Amino acid sequence: MIKAILYKEWIKIRYLFLLAAVILMAFTAYCQLRIGNVISLRSAAHLWEILLTRDNTFYEAMRYVPLFSGVLLALFQFVPEMQQKRLKLCLHLPLPQNKIIGSMLGFGVSLLIILFVVTYLIIFLYLNPILAPELISRVMLTMLPWFVAGIAGYAFVAFTVLEPTWKRRLLNILAGVAFIRIFYLSGYAEAYNQVIVWLLIITLALAGLSFLSVSRFKDGVQ
Amino acid sequence: MNPVITCTNLTHHYGKRLIYENLNFSVPEGRILGLLGKNGTGKTTTINILNGYLKPSGGECTIFGENIRHINPITKQRIALLIEGHVQYSFMNIEQIERFYASFYPKWKKEAYYELMDLLKVAPRQRIANMSCGQRSQVALGLIMAQNADLLILDDFSLGLDPGYRRLFIEYLREYAKSEQKTVFLTSHIIQDMEKLIDDCIILDYGKILIQKSVSELMDTFKKFTFKIDDAQPSLPADNEFYNPAVYRGNGELFTFQNKEYVEQYLHKHDIEHSQLMSESLNLEDIFIGLTGKY
Repeated sequence: MIKAILYKEWIKIRYLFLLAAVILMAFTAYCQLRIGNVISLRSAAHLWEILLTRDNTFYEAMRYVPLFSGVLLALFQFVPEMQQKRLKLCLHLPLPQNKIIGSMLGFGVSLLIILFVVTYLIIFLYLNPILAPELISRVMLTMLPWFVAGIAGYAFVAFTVLEPTWKRRLLNILAGVAFIRIFYLSGYAEAYNQVIVWLLIITLALAGLSFLSVSRFKDGVQ
Repeated sequence: MNPVITCTNLTHHYGKRLIYENLNFSVPEGRILGLLGKNGTGKTTTINILNGYLKPSGGECTIFGENIRHINPITKQRIALLIEGHVQYSFMNIEQIERFYASFYPKWKKEAYYELMDLLKVAPRQRIANMSCGQRSQVALGLIMAQNADLLILDDFSLGLDPGYRRLFIEYLREYAKSEQKTVFLTSHIIQDMEKLIDDCIILDYGKILIQKSVSELMDTFKKFTFKIDDAQPSLPADNEFYNPAVYRGNGELFTFQNKEYVEQYLHKHDIEHSQLMSESLNLEDIFIGLTGKY
């Protein structure tokens, strides 16, 4: 039965997932072209110098792409459920309510994580022959908050869309904007190293807020 | 017969607006019961409460003996639900949606679904969103039949169906429900359809149940009386046994479960000069209007 729910979720978001993958890959390729240009026009040593002395990681163009992907994925997954209160169909399925919603959210978060891990892998494979492990780690750790922000964006959009009243939706949006802002407060490289694990744990916990929205929907709150 | 659905002292408000108070009814096993009422009397509210999508302000409902707020998933497999507007997963096509639902219901009848789908002139891979309103309705009804549930809850099932398919579906549903001992609880705006389909009806008025009876009993006992009276008589005095008594240009009319003698006594008691007192048998739609009024 869970397989059937995942099948339904996949039908809803497959094209968006492919689009998000293409956008992420396009931005990754663009950033890597910039790195390639620096190496071919100046030298790899110059690239190392920039990475060591400035806060530029050459991947800044990707700052908001994971967030954009997370937000769009959640919209494509949950807006159809709320149009004509279609979520009722889901809640009528012969499975415990939390299992149904948990599978839907788990599926969305898993797809995002797959996208982000593949992106990370591509970046790693590209940088591995060019940079020292310490510099690769510097680039990756600088980018990590952007990817966690993508998951946070997904969690807050799901929380907001599944909420049955517009008043609460606005409050949820405000709370989401305030939380996601945290990931973009500092533009310094590796600025979040001390807190990123905590931010990730809080983000995953916040994904559970959607259960609250569904519970309110089921109570018929208007 | 055991009741499949039982509601006790069901009360609901939207904010300060009372929808109904202390509603009590039950749906016996193997019966087809229609919930009738004007717009805003709480038909869809009742369906939403029964399916656990709305927490009632008071009272309790059970389905197959379980409180509707905590129905076991195994029990849910026995309940088929048609949501108002025939809402379904319109981003799927007719094959995908059948495959999706089939895995949830052990008694799933694929052929029942495809039998109905064969009547639609659509490609198997056509998305439901791209179908006409009537075709979407037929997909939703086909899924309900395929589920092979013991209880069918259908909210405004005739919405969007063309007359031919509506007739076909009513005949199919009645034959299916009777031969397989299914219990059906439904609402519809088209009351002529209900007459051919339902065994019992509940007529809701604002805030309460007006009547709960079998359709045959209702049609046998509820009558319309008409008579000629003096033009000077502007209205008829109230009587607890009469529904919606009215005078239009010297023609009196009233609806009642009482017999002709009772009406005559009433007219004499109030010194109302009259002639041509006649009673009429009514169809279900006229009974509904007689009980609830035209407005």
